[in-house]
Formats: sequence, C-alpha cells, structure tokens
Amino acid sequence: MIASVTSILDRPAGHAAVLMQVVGLAKRYGERRALADVSFALNAGEVLGLIGPNGAGKTTLLEAIAGLLPVDDGRILWRGASPALPHRRELMFYLPDGLRPWEDEYVARLLEFFAAAYGRPARITTEAIGALGLAPVLRQRIGALSKGYGRRLMLALALIAPQPLLLMDEPFDGFDLRQTREVMGVVREVARNGRTLVLAIHQLIDAERVCDRFVLLADGRIRGIGTLADLRAQTGMPAGGLEDVFLALT
Amino acid sequence: MRSPDAVVVYRAPLRPLLAKELRDIVSGRALWTMLLILCPLVGYGFFQAVALYGEASSAARDAPVLAAGLSPLDGVLVPTFGALYLVVTLLFPFVAIRSLGREKETGALRLLVQLPYRVPTLIAAKMTAIFGAWLAALVPAVSALVIWAALGGHLYILETANLAFGHLLYGLLVGAIALFAASISESSATAAIIALAFTIGSWVLDFALAGQPGVLEWVARLSLTQTLRTFEQGLLSIGLLLGIVAAICGFAALSAVWLHPGVPLRTKFVRSIACVAAAAIVLASATRIRTSVDLTEDRRNSFPAADQRALAELREPLLITVHLAAEDPRYVDLRRNVLTKLERVVPRLTIRLATTGQSVVGSSSDEAYGEIDYSYAGRADKSRSTSPREILPLLYALAGRPVPPPAAGEEYPGYPLVAEARPALLWFLGALPLLIVLAWRWLRRAPQIAQPIKDGDQP
Repeated sequence: MIASVTSILDRPAGHAAVLMQVVGLAKRYGERRALADVSFALNAGEVLGLIGPNGAGKTTLLEAIAGLLPVDDGRILWRGASPALPHRRELMFYLPDGLRPWEDEYVARLLEFFAAAYGRPARITTEAIGALGLAPVLRQRIGALSKGYGRRLMLALALIAPQPLLLMDEPFDGFDLRQTREVMGVVREVARNGRTLVLAIHQLIDAERVCDRFVLLADGRIRGIGTLADLRAQTGMPAGGLEDVFLALT
Repeated sequence: MRSPDAVVVYRAPLRPLLAKELRDIVSGRALWTMLLILCPLVGYGFFQAVALYGEASSAARDAPVLAAGLSPLDGVLVPTFGALYLVVTLLFPFVAIRSLGREKETGALRLLVQLPYRVPTLIAAKMTAIFGAWLAALVPAVSALVIWAALGGHLYILETANLAFGHLLYGLLVGAIALFAASISESSATAAIIALAFTIGSWVLDFALAGQPGVLEWVARLSLTQTLRTFEQGLLSIGLLLGIVAAICGFAALSAVWLHPGVPLRTKFVRSIACVAAAAIVLASATRIRTSVDLTEDRRNSFPAADQRALAELREPLLITVHLAAEDPRYVDLRRNVLTKLERVVPRLTIRLATTGQSVVGSSSDEAYGEIDYSYAGRADKSRSTSPREILPLLYALAGRPVPPPAAGEEYPGYPLVAEARPALLWFLGALPLLIVLAWRWLRRAPQIAQPIKDGDQP
C-alpha cells in the first residue's frame, strides 16, 4: 500500500532555487576518460539540456546521477544533502535512450504495472496516454510497436513516475518533426507543473527550443553552462544560435 | 535525512510486481518448450516404469515375500519424477534465466531497479515466478500419479509428498543458481553456460567422485543431484533441508548483491564474500544435524519399531570402527543396511573408517580388513557381518539388554500391480501437449482495456 506519493501534476512550482548539485563527477572506462570533474547545479522547475556530440559523456553522466553507474569520484547533492544510492530513486527517474523493455508485455499492462507500483491513480495513467496518443496501441505488444510509439511509451512511463526530477536520454529521438513538437509541448507542460527535467540531447535545434539552460559537454568535460544568452555572452556571439555557441566552445 | 521532495513509497504493492514477473516468465517460449519436451519424457518414463513394475508384480502375485519388495515409490514414482529431474537439470535454467536475462539484455533492468521495490524484493518476486514455472513443470508428473491411481496403483501420501518436496527444493536450487548466473552475466547465453556448468558439473562430480574416500567424498557431496537422493529414499533429513534452503537463500542473496548496476564492483565482491561466508556457516551447521524422518510406508530407513525404541535408549557413546575401504561393496551394504539406520536412532554414535585410500578388495595385507569393531560402555566386540540380524543382537549384548521381540503387524505388504499403461501415452503425447499449447495461447491473449484508459484524454 502506498502511504504517500506526490503527484507530478499537483506539485506546486516555486521551490528553492537549487534543487541538485553535481560535484566533481569522474568516471573512467579503463584507460578512456568518460567524465572528468563534471560539476553543475540544477534549479527546481527548469529544463536543463545536456548538450554534446555522440560520445561526449551525456549518457554516462545521466546514469551516474541516477545511481545506475558507479563513479570513480564526485557526489550528488540534493538540496545540499547527499542522498544514499537507494534513496535516489525517490528523488529522480531516469529514462534511458533506445529502450524497448519487456517486449512480450502489452502496452496497457506495462502502464498499469508502473501506475500500480507507484500507487498512481488511474487519472494519471489516462492523462499520460492522452498526452502521448498511446490509445491506439494499448493492446499491442511492446515488441511490435513502431519506434515512435516505443518512445512515446517510455515517455508515458516517465510521466507516470512521480519523482520530482526526470532525467531523459535523447527524448526526441525517433520522432518526426510534428511528433517532436508535440512531445516538446508535453515536456514543457511537465516542467510548468513543477517537475524538473534534465534532457540529454544531441540535436541542438531541439535543445534550443525546449531547454531553459544548457550544460555543454565534450570529451567528458564541461565546456559551458548557462542560458543561451549567457553562452552567447561567454563566446562573444550576440546573435549566435546554440549550434554556433557550441562549436565555439568545444 | 530524507529530502522533503522525495517520493516516499513506504510499501509498494507486491501484487503488481508478482503479476509482472509471472507474465514475464509465462510470455516467453522457454517455459512452454520445456513443458512440451517434458510431456513425452514423463509419459515414456511412466509407461516404462508401469510396464516393469507389472512384470515384477506378475512374479510376485502368488508370493507374499516377493510382493513385500514391491514399492510404488521405487517402482513408479522415482522413475516418473526422473524425467522431471532431467528436464529441470538441463532446461529449467533457461526458463529461470529468462526472468532476469532479458531485462539485462534489453536494459529493462535499469527501469526495474528504479521502481519503489528493494532489490531483495525484486529477487524474491523473481524466485516466486520461478516457483510458478516449476509448478507448471510438475503438471505432467502429477498427471502421471493421477493415472497411476486410476489404474489401481497405490500411493502413500507421505512418501509421495516427500519426493515432490525434494524435487521442489532441487528445482528452486537450480532456479536460484540460474538467477545468480543471470545477475552476473551480461547476456542470457553466458548465464546459461554458467548455470549448466553447475548442473552438469554436478553429474561429473557424481560419476567421477562417487565412492571415493576422504576429501573427494566431501567434494562429491556438493553435487546438486545428491540433494534428491535422500528424498528418493523416502527420508526427510532436517540437516539436508536446512542445507538446501541455505544454498537457495545464498544464491538468491548473491543475485541481489549483483543485480543493481549502480553498486561498485568492489562493494559487490565484499558483500558476496559475506553472503558466501554466512551460507557456509549454515551449511556447516546443517551437516551436524542428523535428525531425519523416515516417511516411507515400508520404513526402509529404519529398524523395526521395537528395535528403534531399544536403540534410542543406548545413552552411552557407541563407537563403530569399520575396517573396509569406502568403495568396498560390503561397506556399501553395511552403510545402507545398518549404519545409516543407526545414525538416525542412536543418540551418541561415532563411525570411524579405519581404512583410508583405495584398496584392492580381497588382497589387503591388513588381517583385520573386513572386520567391524563395536565398542559400547567399556565393552567391545567385532563382526564381519553387514546384516542387522547379526549386528543388532551384538549391540544389545554389549549394552546388556535383551533382544526386543518383534511387534506383530509391522510387515510391509507390498503393492504389486499388473496394469496396462499404453493408453496413457495418448495423454502424454497428444492431449496434454495440446492443452499446453492452448494454455499458452490463452495466456498470451491481449488484455481487456478499461474504457477511460482506452479513451486516453477523455476520462
């Protein structure tokens, strides 16, 4: 029985500014350095974009924050305190990239399972299904879904999960232009309702549209942090887009 | 201190998790393929067992002495369940591995460990699903028992239940090993190799080291197949039960240790050592427990009741020194007919094997070879017999007790039965596989969707 679950859609905005701090994260795979002294802060209610090319360390960083990957050094602070590994799942939900889990399971059953595990009311599941247009595929097996519907299903799971922080790896991959816009709308709506999002995105145009602030990552190191205006000022490119700024900083 | 933002799920409901794990194991082909293979194997084993039992029964029909040797446990139940043992050893690991292997391969594990369930709860749910799969595997064997009863065969409920319980423990042990293999492997194929190394390696231990003395004998006892032998003999050994449960819990705990991808490797190793140490302590303690219950109808593991009572009253230490090699057939006889029964009933018994190492039977230079020395309460005697009819009176003489008179009505009558089991093959080769296929299709049907959920944004 669920004693207390905070609904994502009922959460009021306006928490204290810094929600989470990443301090000096470092990770090596043998001789290869995946992350080196990565530090940044995350504000409550914002959409933070982790920007970088393939192999920059975005996925490693998200998995390290979520506690799904052991790190060599560094720590995560949540409102100034360091949560133990088992408690991180109470604070954040990480949605990996390209996931097609439980392929033999039906879409409806997986959604019901997530909702039941978190003790979420049927209304939340219904809203997630509606927001992501999953109604036509509820009686399909996950393995039979198209790439786009597979991504929508994963996003629906993230919407059902009640944690205040969502970490999403390439949330717009697999969508066409129209679908990407729709999903961006959903993501912005989630943020408006008080949840904080960290999105790892390699498509800079998408990132520019949806994110409030950016962490630019290349070769496992942070190359820039801030809003687009901050980054423009940092690079001396007042009219530059995110693409120009990123190229200038990396 | 917990953050005020934390999503506090004090006790997530278990039912959805259990249902998901069961669906996961049922939705794969591995379970159903195993069941379809199991049907003809159990059916043929049962048919052969009934045929052989019938032949033996024909000879015993008019001879009560021969009939007393006909027990359905040895004649029908053990051979029928033998097919289950074979399939559980060779195929069940693939079914059990699926409960975790696919989640690791597809990345679903990274979602699973974020759900509001503790890792031991996740492993317990997977073990429950594995238990469910084993129950499904039991269906052909149980149907064989039903057919046996319908043919007029005798079933003694305690020994039947004990045998099934032994197979359950063996199945759970194989399942726990498979789960552990899946938790330390990145792919199901690797996990299968590791799990089969355990199960098939046990056979090698059995064949290569059985009857060997000393350390090799101890190593041979680690064989998984040894877990079933005692149950097949109709014994419920508390020490063995505790040992198997400790092994199952040990492997399950190791699975939990290695499940979470976020735990550093060093921590996993340290926790693993702690798990292995704890399991080893329990296993070592279990080997010291000699309590066991003879659940056979013919009381084959016990002396007659009067002797049992008299022997239980021997309070002084009884030392038996055996001058025989462990591989000597006389020693095997002595163990089966006398020593194991004495171990179960005499409170302070020590058995010493004086001859260590291999010997060429009959050419030993030791003149005492073949003798068995008995020492009780300062008195000693020796014998070369391996029969309880000679040894028990010797023990009573050492203890200064009279030989107890045999109680009347204790004789096992035996249950000869000549029956034709050929029609049962239709069930095992036709009807049961068909039912399994239909069950598979039924369980794979699409779910009914509640209208508000179906409508999505129109609640």
